[in-house]
Amino acid sequence: MPRLVLMFNKQVIKEIPFVQDSITIGRKPENAVAIDNLAVSGYHARIDKTGHDYILTDLQSTNGTFVNDKRVSTHRLKHGDNIIVGKHVLLFVAGENGAKQGGGNGDLDQTMMLETAKQRELLAKEQNKSGPPPKPRKIGILSFLDGSRKEDVALTKKLTRLGKSPNSEVRLSGLFMGATAATISKRPSGYAITFTGGMVKLRVNGEVVKGSVSLKDFDTIELGSHKFQFYQKQTKTA
Amino acid sequence: MLIRASGITDVGLKREGNEDCFSTDDTLGLYVVADGMGGHLAGEVASKVAVELINKSFRHWMESGLEEEEVFGIPDQTLTKRGNYILGSIRLANRVVHEMAEMHDEYHGMGTTIAVLAVFQGQIIAANVGDSRIYMLRNGHLERLSKDHTIVSEQVEMGIMDPKDAETSPLKHVLTKNLGSAEFVTAEVFEFEPADGDRFLLCTDGLTDLVNDEEILQMIQAEESPEVFCRNCVDEALKRGGHDNTTVVSVFLSGITPPKQGPLKRLGIFFADSITGVHKTFRKLKP
Repeated sequence: MPRLVLMFNKQVIKEIPFVQDSITIGRKPENAVAIDNLAVSGYHARIDKTGHDYILTDLQSTNGTFVNDKRVSTHRLKHGDNIIVGKHVLLFVAGENGAKQGGGNGDLDQTMMLETAKQRELLAKEQNKSGPPPKPRKIGILSFLDGSRKEDVALTKKLTRLGKSPNSEVRLSGLFMGATAATISKRPSGYAITFTGGMVKLRVNGEVVKGSVSLKDFDTIELGSHKFQFYQKQTKTA
Repeated sequence: MLIRASGITDVGLKREGNEDCFSTDDTLGLYVVADGMGGHLAGEVASKVAVELINKSFRHWMESGLEEEEVFGIPDQTLTKRGNYILGSIRLANRVVHEMAEMHDEYHGMGTTIAVLAVFQGQIIAANVGDSRIYMLRNGHLERLSKDHTIVSEQVEMGIMDPKDAETSPLKHVLTKNLGSAEFVTAEVFEFEPADGDRFLLCTDGLTDLVNDEEILQMIQAEESPEVFCRNCVDEALKRGGHDNTTVVSVFLSGITPPKQGPLKRLGIFFADSITGVHKTFRKLKP
């Protein structure tokens, strides 16, 4: 039968045999492995037995769950894995079969104590690494082709209004320009432009738009005599 | 603008209780779907509390016209005032569910997903936390207005996982976010203009586990009545095993007419067009 060895500052606090199908680790007393420490979330992590495997899942804990120095959200436990929860370490010791299969040496020397500073470091490292390749985030840009304004407009808002009205994000002049002539919305599928009103026509790539169309990179948008180009740019900032 | 909306929740064939909850309010234009989780009755409580609170706080703020700074939490500058009302109501519901879960033993670990759609003249707001979805039918295309907060979909977004594998992954129900499990939650909120004939569907994973986007597209196009469409969705889920609670809310918009074009307006458009033409010619002539 596998078991978990709870340790703090290289001291074994207790051993927990894995008899149930599932155990939870956390600060609250009803957890099978209750660790009374503020660095540990109320329900920090869970281990489920699935077939012959034991799966560790981080329960969106504030400070994260680490296995052998790596932050994990889910992880298949091997014999000798060090699960780091706050400042405590849980050593996963597989049953006799598991130990043979894993071939790992459940050496207590591997045990790594995590000081708060170290944990921060690990978290920082994890964030710098941004886990798997940094999430590419794209932001839409409107660049003016008519020379009426020099700077590009970044479409950071979920809804950008183009028009004459003072509360428009992109203010456009013109006698016949609508108060809000068009809006550009940012949706999970990308950006879309919608004609909203006024006497000037909205054209995307030369076609008159009366409803809404989705925008692709390098589309040209015309609102009356104003002309823009739409494109998307990668940003690093989250 | 005419709004026709309908909603149904069904316990399904395998579960004993229904942890889903929904609300439709045509006067306010607010539609909410929630899928609760947590032992015993906790899941039912979480979804019910969240739906009620979002309705209550949103209605209250809309009526009082509260400044966005006064709404719960720091306002999101990328959203409009109403967008911040929606965001604030979700944050508030999250805090309440979270505190209930912390304070009462029987509610420990409870949480809920949430999908919110708000419909106004000239504005649609869609917001979600978790894996309950919001779809929009427009111009014959079905578009997702929600983001799934699951490990699997985040991995797909990062490009680590193939979307095909995601559908069969054993981890597809592991949420990275829900309402209630943490003190703070960030919801996805999207805002845009409505268009005539827009149709929306809010649903829990009881439906989307069993019916794919292509099938939803066909079903939503086939029906003129939101009631019948909702019923068809639930029937389809039941036909395919109904392993979970299924909740669907559908909102059909019609009668969004472009402003009348009187003779004066037409004359204006003609002038505007001519001026645009002159402008363009000038620009071409300029070196």
